[in-house]
Amino acid sequence: MIEVEDVKAYIESGILELYVLGDLSPEERLQVQDMASKHPAVKSELGEIEKSMVLYAEENAIEPAEELRHKILNSLVTNLADDRIFSSQPEPVKDNVVQMTAPKQNNFYKYAFAACLALLLASVVVLMNVYSKLQTANTQLIAMNNQNAQYAKTVSFMNDQLGVYRDTTFKIIKLKGMAKHTSSSMLVAFSHSKKKVMIDMADLALPENDQTHQYQLWAIVDKKPVSLGVFDKSSSDTSEMKVMAAVSEPQAFAVTIEPRGGSASPHLDQLVVSNL
Amino acid sequence: MTKRGKISLSEEELVHALRHKEKVAAEALYDMYSASLYGVIVRIITDTPTAEDVLQETFVKIWHSFASYSTDKGRLFTWMVNIARNLAIDKIRSKDFKNQNKNQELENNVTFIDEQRNTVYKPELLGIKDLVNTLKPEQKSILELVYFKGYTHVEAADELAIPLGTVKTRLRMGLIELRKYFNES
Repeated sequence: MIEVEDVKAYIESGILELYVLGDLSPEERLQVQDMASKHPAVKSELGEIEKSMVLYAEENAIEPAEELRHKILNSLVTNLADDRIFSSQPEPVKDNVVQMTAPKQNNFYKYAFAACLALLLASVVVLMNVYSKLQTANTQLIAMNNQNAQYAKTVSFMNDQLGVYRDTTFKIIKLKGMAKHTSSSMLVAFSHSKKKVMIDMADLALPENDQTHQYQLWAIVDKKPVSLGVFDKSSSDTSEMKVMAAVSEPQAFAVTIEPRGGSASPHLDQLVVSNL
Repeated sequence: MTKRGKISLSEEELVHALRHKEKVAAEALYDMYSASLYGVIVRIITDTPTAEDVLQETFVKIWHSFASYSTDKGRLFTWMVNIARNLAIDKIRSKDFKNQNKNQELENNVTFIDEQRNTVYKPELLGIKDLVNTLKPEQKSILELVYFKGYTHVEAADELAIPLGTVKTRLRMGLIELRKYFNES
């Protein structure tokens, strides 16, 4: 009974009216809500007050201008669209976008870098290959040039050689073996006008000399022997025309075997000899 | 009221739709409550463009902060009318508005309010005369100050130079008169 009295006093205090009018502090509001949830009488009284307030407002209602409806609803619908964007596409979507772009970029640069590296390596390999081929070609070219020069030399030399036999001023003299050396023989070319003496190494039919001796060519001038130089006979001899010392007016040619380097006058056996 | 085929929902349906931000909720909200809320706003702000701005702000605020409304706190309209009233009072007390309307001071109380109300009351609203006659003048003035002018009961007591307890009692009596009137009609 006391409680009922209290509730009645509470209702009559006028606090519920102030609650409905929004004229209470937050603490007082919570207190009223608490009372309303505990006491049905308070709750129904609140309902009555609210209802009369609604009706009072309706009695005093003023219809706003017709065009205002469209304007206000538009502003709400615009906001509605905004709200939908925010509520249906929350933060994670943003995060996804960020997460998607970052690795993509990374991958692109990674692959691009790898591709560049591979290209560089391939280029280096190709370059090396080309370089080695170029080197080979160069050496081949040099070798061929050398060979060519060799051939040119040989050809010009052979021409010279051939020239000796064609030159009518040259006299080809055959030196014949003496005494024990009858099998020996050699050819000497002599040009009286040019005072030039050459021996044909290809046609040298002499025994091979040893390391301590050499053959020496002599010209007999006024019955005295004049040295025209030394030469060797070896198995590896080339087919050169060897040019010897110049001499004028020789009467005869002779070849002796002398110690290496030659002698001032012949003291050994004459091997081959010929008179002009 | 039936010119456009207004949308009307039960309070439960409307609350549900508002929670889900359905488009129909915005339309129903406007059709059901714009006139009542505008009636309250117009009594605080007589300047029509400003009152219309405040009405728009009210709906935008209702729409955005609807999550903070709970049925435990009371009826939807009670919550909304308090938003409208607070926005209107904020506007009228703001510097801009005061500068705009220097000659429209709030001090001049009941008679000024009555004059103002008479000018904006729509004659086609039936029952007003009966309602006005139902309330005693002191009940009417306190209700005007608190309900339509956004005075706190403390401010109203100051304004009318009466004790706080008297303000509360008159307010309560006025509302009881209203209840009787609505129950009869």
